[in-house]
Amino acid sequence: MVTLVTSDNEKFNAEKEVVERSVLIKNMLEDVGESDQPIPLPMFLEYCEHHRGEPLPAPDADTSQDDTRKRTTDISEWDQKFITVDQEMLFEIILAANYLDIKSLLDVGCKTVANMIKGKTPEEIRKLFNIVNDFTPRRRCAQIKKENEWAEDR
Amino acid sequence: MASSSTSDAFISAPPRTADLEETWAFLTKGVDHIMNKLDTGMDFPSYTNLYTTVYNYCTSTKMHGKTDSNRTGANLVGADLYVKLQDYFVEHFKSMKEKTAGLQDEELLRYYATEWDRYTTGANFLNRLFTYLNRYWVKRERDEGKKNVYQVYTLALAQWKQHFFLPIQKEDTKLASALLRLIERQRNGEVIDQGLVKKVVFSFVSLGLDNNDPIKECLDVYKEHFETPFIDATEKYYKKESDTFLASNTVSEYLKKAEDRLREEDDRIERYLHTKTRKELISKCEDVLIREHSELMWESFQKLLDFDQDEDLQRMYALLSRIPEGLEPLRKRFEGHVKQAGLASISKLIGEGGNADTIDPKVYVDALLEVHKKNSETVTRSFKSEAGFAASLDKACREFVNRNTATGSSSTKSPELIAKHADMLLRKNNKMAEEEDLEGALNRVMVLFKYLEDKDVFQTFYTTKLSKRLIHGVSASDESEASMISKLKEACGFEYTNKLQRMFTDMSLSKDLTDSFKERMSQNHDDMDITFSVMVLGTNFWPLNPPPHEFVIPAEILTTYDRFQKYYQTKHSGRKLTWLWNYSKNELRTNYLNQKYILMTSSYQMAVLVLYNKNETMSLDEIFAATSIGKDILTQVLALLVKAKILINEESEQYDLNPGFKSKKIRVNLNLPIKAEVKQESNEVLKAVDEDRKYAIQATIVRIMKARKTMKNQALIQEVISQISHRFAPRIPDIKKAIETLLEKEYIERVDGSKDTFAYVA
Repeated sequence: MVTLVTSDNEKFNAEKEVVERSVLIKNMLEDVGESDQPIPLPMFLEYCEHHRGEPLPAPDADTSQDDTRKRTTDISEWDQKFITVDQEMLFEIILAANYLDIKSLLDVGCKTVANMIKGKTPEEIRKLFNIVNDFTPRRRCAQIKKENEWAEDR
Repeated sequence: MASSSTSDAFISAPPRTADLEETWAFLTKGVDHIMNKLDTGMDFPSYTNLYTTVYNYCTSTKMHGKTDSNRTGANLVGADLYVKLQDYFVEHFKSMKEKTAGLQDEELLRYYATEWDRYTTGANFLNRLFTYLNRYWVKRERDEGKKNVYQVYTLALAQWKQHFFLPIQKEDTKLASALLRLIERQRNGEVIDQGLVKKVVFSFVSLGLDNNDPIKECLDVYKEHFETPFIDATEKYYKKESDTFLASNTVSEYLKKAEDRLREEDDRIERYLHTKTRKELISKCEDVLIREHSELMWESFQKLLDFDQDEDLQRMYALLSRIPEGLEPLRKRFEGHVKQAGLASISKLIGEGGNADTIDPKVYVDALLEVHKKNSETVTRSFKSEAGFAASLDKACREFVNRNTATGSSSTKSPELIAKHADMLLRKNNKMAEEEDLEGALNRVMVLFKYLEDKDVFQTFYTTKLSKRLIHGVSASDESEASMISKLKEACGFEYTNKLQRMFTDMSLSKDLTDSFKERMSQNHDDMDITFSVMVLGTNFWPLNPPPHEFVIPAEILTTYDRFQKYYQTKHSGRKLTWLWNYSKNELRTNYLNQKYILMTSSYQMAVLVLYNKNETMSLDEIFAATSIGKDILTQVLALLVKAKILINEESEQYDLNPGFKSKKIRVNLNLPIKAEVKQESNEVLKAVDEDRKYAIQATIVRIMKARKTMKNQALIQEVISQISHRFAPRIPDIKKAIETLLEKEYIERVDGSKDTFAYVA
């Protein structure tokens, strides 16, 4: 059993097996060693609890697995429900998953955002995420192309 | 476990918006702690703070420092931290390098190993604290093809190699030399700290880095800085050692030494070297320890054989089998040795017994077997039944079994003697049979049989001997006969034993025939006072010849003769019966003497003796007229009877019945072989063999030509030799003669316009 402390000083108890879904916590427990001291973390455990027992992603998941992970936008029913939150919360979850290095949760979050974007025009997307259009029309084209180069199939 | 002092240092993380200076100022304290004082521990808050600081810096949206204008795609932050870390490591090695300057050999290794442990542990820690950097910035850089950017742990190793390892090695390969000296001390018999060697050696392995795939094991550092000098040192060491050792020790002792050394080196790999080194190290050792001295070993081989130094032979075999071509000279020598032993053994026999013609088959066979057995055991025990040595043994045996002092230049002598020995074994009253080791003795005959080149000669002799055993009823047992035949069949195939098996069939058919004839006679006639049994034997299967002369069938048996003749014709009409009087025998009862004797005679003797039922004195001419037996044989028949004192020959060519005949036995066996027959036998057998061979060669040629249609002369001869050599070694003139014969008979023809090509005539 490990104790976690959130940024606003709330304490949680959780089983080691559960919180180790976070690579950060797993590494920390290995490196620092287990102790009664609370682990200061600003995060929640519901997600990890649900996925208890599932295999953790291998530290160096090979690329073939990576590819399938990238391509599919399917999200399991439970995850779907879990991620059905308001936008602010959704981004909080994504940030937390990123910080805690919980690959599966990060994927679910990002896929959800991707699904929200899918099939929408830039205008609609701006509206959806409340983004101010700060591009001049001329700059826009070149900038977008450049920024998205990495995402194109090479 | 975390001490309070450490947590203080990292309790106040810089704000999320901290710039590089502020961030690194905080991180550097943590990195320093991890690299130098990790043993004092670290607590969760500190860990989290350090991790968060890296996270915050890498996720901060504004650009820190200068931006790479050639950047493609979205920017990721982290380059500055990476450079800072890189610089930190360089700094970190400075004091360590100073320390090593004053250290030598084991002390140096010890220091190096300790630092290595501490360093790699710390680097592992850092790798995780900087996970965020690894996950995004490093990954992107590598994805974009910057192969000299590594994950933090790999970076740490690369820095160690560049700024610590290589500088030390630059001074006369200080590290490697220290290792090699330590290993040499172990080879000299000292006890060393193997764990230390292993740690340092495997740090070399870790330092190898494949830029394209940092996770893949790469041995370039290990190979360059350790393996190559190590192999060189090994070569020098053992070259010197083996030369010195051989200068003052025997080869036998050296074999032991080399064996031990090879085992040691193999262990060494297990203990502290990378397994990839095995191949090169062992092959180098084999080269220096075995190949360099292989000629000396070959030279000593004969001596080991002569003195049956079994263990040394085993060792020599094991060692030489490790190098290419190491065994071939041994095999050759072994072959020569066995051949010599075989020849010597037979020469000794002849030397003692005198004459090669009168050599006892059993003694001959035993002598051959003894040599084979001894050397066969050597092959199994010393040479692990290795195929090459087994072949050498076979080759040598084939040589001395077929050609030795006893055989002279005759290729038929050995098959004859071995067949005679087999005959002796299979006869009734053979001691072997009583010892119940008959089967074993037969198996031993087969051992030699396999080496015979002229198996057809053996076959012919064996057939003759078998027919004798069967006709005279002196075979030890049907079971043993069958067993021997099945062994021959196994060795040479169905065709080889076909005749033999037919002979047995004839025997049992004859028994049935005799029984049914007797039954018929007892129904039709009541005057059968002659016990009669008959064998009807297929002409082609039995090596028997009809008498070369007329024979007047005595009136006493004529009725039976006629009746059987008729009976047989009704049963098998059209078959021709030839009566082999020369192989027949009879029993006669005497009435003219006080004591009644039973005389066991050949049919010729019987024919002569029944004449004395009517006369008491007869001249040679009278007897000849009455029996028609050829005079040369007749005189011998008579001589035997005279010798047995049945007849008296006082005047020349005048034979009287001896009224005073006496014998201790009631049954008198007069049926002894006639000398002329014995001598004739061997010659006849050989003649038959020659005849058979002619046909065998012709048949083989026809078979080959039928399959191939056309063939060149030379190829045809080769093919015939290869197909027929399992039966006998054909002579090339014989093959040529057979080809001529077949050309004449128009089985094959010459192809037009070609001198040496033949075609099959369908």
